[in-house]
Amino acid sequence: MNFTRRTLGKMAIGLAAATCLMQMPAMAADMPAPFDKPGDVKIALVRYLSTGDFFQAYLSGVESQAKALGVDLRVLDSRQDAALQADMVDQAIALGVQGIIIQHGLTESMKDAAQRAVDAGIKVVAFDVNVENDKIPQIEQSDRDLARLALEQAVKDNGESWKAGYVYVAGIAPLDRRNETWVEFKKKYPGINEAAMFGTLDNPIANSVANQARSVLTANPDIKVMFAPYDEFAKGVKIAVDEAGLSKDIKIYSADISTSDIAAMREPDSAWAATAATNPAVVGQVSVRALAQLLAGEDPGHNVVVPPTLITQKDLIDNDIKNMEELSAKLPQFAHADVAMPAWMPNPNAK
Amino acid sequence: MTPRDFAIKYGFIALLLGLIVFFTLATDGFASPQAAVFIFQSVAITGVLALGVTATLVVGGFDLSIGSVATTAMMAAAYAMVVLEQNALVAVVICIVIGVLVGLINGYLIVYMRVPDLLATLGMMFLLVGLQRIPTEGRSIATGMTMPDGSVANGTFSPAFLALGRHRFDFFIPNLIPVSVVVLLILAVLIWFFLEYTRFGRMMYAVGSNPRAAELAGAPVKAYKIWAYVISGVFASIGGILLAARLGRGDIASGNNLLLDSVAAALIGFAVLGAAKPNAFGTAIGALFVGVLLQGLTMMNAPYYTQDFVKGAVLVVALVFTFALSNRGRS
Repeated sequence: MNFTRRTLGKMAIGLAAATCLMQMPAMAADMPAPFDKPGDVKIALVRYLSTGDFFQAYLSGVESQAKALGVDLRVLDSRQDAALQADMVDQAIALGVQGIIIQHGLTESMKDAAQRAVDAGIKVVAFDVNVENDKIPQIEQSDRDLARLALEQAVKDNGESWKAGYVYVAGIAPLDRRNETWVEFKKKYPGINEAAMFGTLDNPIANSVANQARSVLTANPDIKVMFAPYDEFAKGVKIAVDEAGLSKDIKIYSADISTSDIAAMREPDSAWAATAATNPAVVGQVSVRALAQLLAGEDPGHNVVVPPTLITQKDLIDNDIKNMEELSAKLPQFAHADVAMPAWMPNPNAK
Repeated sequence: MTPRDFAIKYGFIALLLGLIVFFTLATDGFASPQAAVFIFQSVAITGVLALGVTATLVVGGFDLSIGSVATTAMMAAAYAMVVLEQNALVAVVICIVIGVLVGLINGYLIVYMRVPDLLATLGMMFLLVGLQRIPTEGRSIATGMTMPDGSVANGTFSPAFLALGRHRFDFFIPNLIPVSVVVLLILAVLIWFFLEYTRFGRMMYAVGSNPRAAELAGAPVKAYKIWAYVISGVFASIGGILLAARLGRGDIASGNNLLLDSVAAALIGFAVLGAAKPNAFGTAIGALFVGVLLQGLTMMNAPYYTQDFVKGAVLVVALVFTFALSNRGRS
């Protein structure tokens, strides 16, 4: 009996191992060095910003791609402490990692730290922080494209001349880049008349923006389109539009998306017509892939741009999309970007 | 009454009226019942918090945790309904319980552990900012969200709860006054009556102006102080409920701006009617003053940083009224 049981156990273990082998490593064998032994590859993610849905999703993307590659990922989180973030790069160097992803941060504090890592022979990529280094590829979500997609949809829905309210706070890099597109658009379509510009980052942002938007709508009751190129702004504007009873008369165009945004866009008679978004999880995956390319001796290019997707209210309702997972499942262009994707790269979204 | 006394007593209210006249002339649509209502609505949440902090100011304390109590209550309400799929009543009760608990802990730390009020409530503030994120691992709460364990939260904000933020009562004009404004007005009247006309309220002032004398006179000073923090906690959690009902989701937020705005309202309140002390009527006027200014400026397309500037300027002027002009401040 004993003997049989043991044999059975061994067989079970053998079978399980075989199943594992069959699933994963078909690719592992094909991956270039150092990913032929992915368990020995250590990479670090050094973060500046981490709280909020966007950053959670970014992290999950980094984790899923790292897992698909089979590499060892360390996450160092400086929680908005610029000096600590620079120290963490040194810490990562001391840990003996082969690759570092710098996620956000300040150019001034990260430039030298990034250079030290490069000098130590470590491959580095940077997301949304310019470290002014030719050897370091910049991962970007294209804010200009985000704004352009949303505005093109606004022109498509409302024609070329309308009165607009615009939500903007200067001095925030992604918002500034989105603003450049808005300025161009106003030049291109002289019929677009910006009746009011407002905005605040007082938190809870949606609540503060809602208060402002109420005033703006009262002062300018003929506004037809609200351009709110950040989803917290758009939520605030939507609350104000609903409270003013104008949801059928005004359309909101925005950027970024989250599960609660989807719910707000799907509400009956929702004023929120469309949003353009880059999937933060995809940006996370692309960050790891670009780093992996560097480690394998390939060149991902200096600017790795993750293209955005336009998501309209109609898309959400027609496809019955209720959260981010369903969005990824039903709009494939949102779930995966064909960026930094050489043939050997495992796709974390492939089942 | 000399002109000076008159200025001290009615200066601030005159300033408020002047502002209203100015904005009426300078913008379209400021002088309408709807505009009046949304000015009230825009200050309803900070106003409720400010009334709470007034109670702690009265006993000579201070509560830095109100902003984070409000956002924690908001997250708790969202968690109760969206994740635990409870009804509106349960959500409201949970929020109030949180407010009471935080108030009791704050009071206990300050009274029995002898931690200075600013430090105890500062600690509580950080604690709550972190605590509200633990159940969802830092995610905001909305229907359909994916939980850390991979399951999907299917609960929804109950319509009864959302009505707290969205229902409007008819008042001459149909659908005019939102619930949050009614809550603000009721709480303002309650706390005003409580502080000015009940023995309990008067004793709180006595504790605030001279705790030792109050103690020698036989007042249970410690109990009064703890009660003040409980009031503050409960008011803050009511503010959080209103916030959750308006936003319709549980938003990760530190609530620091709520804290600063409500403290500003309470301090501006010192100057109203020359009171030179914390008082509920003044706090309500202070909140309204900030609301009128901000909404008026927004209607004139003033950018957000000028609004912070103006808020600060008003506070400074109010404090000058309180401390330099009134005799009480000079003592």
